[in-house]
Amino acid sequence: MMTTFGERLEVGGHPPAIDIRYLRVDYGNFVAVDDLTLSVPRGEIFGLVGPNGAGKTSTFRVLTTLLEPTYGEVFMDGVDVLEDIEGARRMIGYMPDLAPVPSDLKVGEFLDFYAAAYGLGGRASRGDRVAECLEEVALTEQRDSWCKKLSRGQTQRLVLAKTLLHRPRVLILDEPASGLDPLARRDLRNALRKLAQTGATIFVSSHILSELAEMCTSLCVMNRGRLLASGTVDEVREQLGNTDRVLTATVVGALEEAVAWLEVQPSVQEVRVEGAQVIFGFKGSDESQADLLTGLIGQGVRMRAFEERRTSFEDILVGVAEGNRR
Amino acid sequence: MIKPPSTIVSFLGALLWRNPIFARYCRSRLRARGLGVALLITVLVAGFMVALVGSIGVRSGTNVVDGARAGIIPLIVVQGLILFVLGTAQVAGGMTAERDEGVIDYQRLIPMTPLAKVLGYLFGLPVREYAMFLATMPFMGWMLWRGEVPWSVWVPLYTIIFTTALLYHFTGLLTGTVVQNRRWAFLVSIGLVFSLYTVIPQMAKFGLVFFKYLTITPVFEESLPSILPKGMGSMVSAVQHLVPTVKFFNLDFSETVFTLFTQGGLILTFTVMLCRKWRRTEAHLLGKLWALGWFIWVQLLLLGNALPLIDSGDLFPSRAFHLMAFEGKAWAPKAMEAVLMSGLYGLVTLLLIFLLTGIITPAPDDQLRGWRRARKQGLVALPRLADATTAFWVVILMAITGATGWMVFARALVESSWFPGHLVPLSTWGFFVAVVLAGGVGFHGLLEAKGFRVVGLAAIFVGVVPVMAGAVLGAISDRMIPGATWLMGISPLSMPLYATGTLLTVAEIPAEAARAVPRAFFFWLVVSVLVAIWLAVRLRVARRAMAERVLGGLEEGSR
Repeated sequence: MMTTFGERLEVGGHPPAIDIRYLRVDYGNFVAVDDLTLSVPRGEIFGLVGPNGAGKTSTFRVLTTLLEPTYGEVFMDGVDVLEDIEGARRMIGYMPDLAPVPSDLKVGEFLDFYAAAYGLGGRASRGDRVAECLEEVALTEQRDSWCKKLSRGQTQRLVLAKTLLHRPRVLILDEPASGLDPLARRDLRNALRKLAQTGATIFVSSHILSELAEMCTSLCVMNRGRLLASGTVDEVREQLGNTDRVLTATVVGALEEAVAWLEVQPSVQEVRVEGAQVIFGFKGSDESQADLLTGLIGQGVRMRAFEERRTSFEDILVGVAEGNRR
Repeated sequence: MIKPPSTIVSFLGALLWRNPIFARYCRSRLRARGLGVALLITVLVAGFMVALVGSIGVRSGTNVVDGARAGIIPLIVVQGLILFVLGTAQVAGGMTAERDEGVIDYQRLIPMTPLAKVLGYLFGLPVREYAMFLATMPFMGWMLWRGEVPWSVWVPLYTIIFTTALLYHFTGLLTGTVVQNRRWAFLVSIGLVFSLYTVIPQMAKFGLVFFKYLTITPVFEESLPSILPKGMGSMVSAVQHLVPTVKFFNLDFSETVFTLFTQGGLILTFTVMLCRKWRRTEAHLLGKLWALGWFIWVQLLLLGNALPLIDSGDLFPSRAFHLMAFEGKAWAPKAMEAVLMSGLYGLVTLLLIFLLTGIITPAPDDQLRGWRRARKQGLVALPRLADATTAFWVVILMAITGATGWMVFARALVESSWFPGHLVPLSTWGFFVAVVLAGGVGFHGLLEAKGFRVVGLAAIFVGVVPVMAGAVLGAISDRMIPGATWLMGISPLSMPLYATGTLLTVAEIPAEAARAVPRAFFFWLVVSVLVAIWLAVRLRVARRAMAERVLGGLEEGSR
């Protein structure tokens, strides 16, 4: 689903799961979040990506009622988070960055404590719910292990299980995949997708864009407290002005004709030849790239290979972080 | 048997027994391994004491009652160490550990009331120490039984031990919740408990009797005749007849009831502070109304305890020394005692105002948030008692109330039968108000405008350094005393003492400083009043500008 700014999305008569308006967070003279407006429809896995210091954690702490913003409004399923703190807290599941766990409890005890705190019934029904959540994150066998003895990935999953206990309508996960190996990341991705299928809205942050691109239905990019782009992965790429790609055509004969034709095309830059290969930069949509290729063949140029290479998301983020792509 | 109403049972159950935080700490802190070692050590120590005292009794041929009583006080000391020292350290350390580990954010989000969270931590964190304390009770029970200590003695004693432990645990919980740095939280809580137990009660010797009721000392002393061996007990009892009982204005209270009353007020205030912090992290520790009420309550306690002791002379420090020395000759208080005690009252009042002002003064960011919230709600002014509202008027009210209390105290001392012919004119009240107002408003203005860092520096360089420098200068030679007096007068902390030295007719200032003290007092009073007015006016202008900017939608990025 598309995510828009500036106006409240109402899908099927329901308010959006998360609706942030003109949010600003100051720490003294430092502006951590600057005029952020953003809506997340229900049932989405929505990613918030940005380099360290982008304002992700501050945004999440406001959403979770842990931080009062300097100004702005935040609605969660229509509930004003800043006015009805208790109401908001009941619908939120929050997994903070680094997912801390207490050192003096076992896995089962840790979850049972929160199950009791969320009022999930008597000991037996709490036990059932704890078992369900442990199974969901594949930690059933660790139920009697000490929390402090778990690996990083297991700890992340344990905290995710704690976050799921009370079946929150909105999950806010701050860097949930940080420190996880690829296998654990895949498990986390699968767990989040399953949750989204049950109707929960998941707002997840990371400073690794490719990681979010794999699991999110849409995402936004923040830098220095400001929202830079929002939408699907391709829309974000476009909004960030990064549609550049490097194309390589391996030509059989007629090399000069191919170069001469390419050099006069407005979407082509920096044409160079390496052996039988013509390498050039291209800026434009997928459609215009297809037209270019058809045109080249129409010039009688014979190609035995054609290759496309895009700037990686990580490169884009580095650029964002350096302030080069604002 | 009357069955208690189920609502009360469920309320109490919800408070503690069904409290998930309490249950969580019962689980983690009462594990067999950790608890077993702790109980073993406790039982060994307590058993050793009982056995040793019993053996000495057998050897020396003392009777059973005296033999049993001889072990009671050492065991109370052990119990005090367990509950007061270990318990408080555990509460402060446990709370900071929660924050250090980061799990406190989870607890903020769980749907429990702030009070339930506070109680869960308060009783849960030191639950092992409570178990250790209970492990000593069979030994204590045996000694109380064999020592024939009546229940009317040990019940009040243990009630006060429990409330004192609660008070100290609250102190630990509060510092653990408020102080950011783990090491500082531990040091501050230990420092606070140490001060509550040793330093602050010393003020009782200088007329501020109320402060001694923050400890178990009064009730413990009252119990001494019944828990000491009989010979020693009767000696203590004889001495106690010379020591005043608790008087509060015209009322008489038992030590236990009054200590409970005093500690209860502080415990309630701590509970309010913690609940406010749990409800909203950014909230001030106290609301404005509560701060003002608490200030008035302390003033009433200070006066209520002190005034009835003036005519008997028991309020004066020299009286206690006289009694201790068993001097036969007649005793009368010295005039300078009254002057210094009045000055100390003013100083404590000023310090209390500083403390409460520090708690209720909003930072500029808080005010800005408050105005934006007001705009959102369609208001044109901040609610009077909101955290974001300036504390200026509360400071004014506290200053006037405090100066009035100070005046009542000074007048009662000076116009007492000990100093015939001396009167305190009403104009003195005006000067007292000026001293407290200038200090309070100046402190508030600096804090609101510049924040705690600047106030901290001002406290060092304006509050403390001039006093230290003046003391050094004055110690060099008598000729330097006038200069030292002027220098020390810079400090707002010296103003109450200068005021009583200048304005009370009983004051007998040494000749070297006799001219300098009044001159320095009036000069620095005028300066501090002008500075306070200047700060207040500037802040008023700044607050108005902020309100216009926000309400008029002129600020950057406003919608």
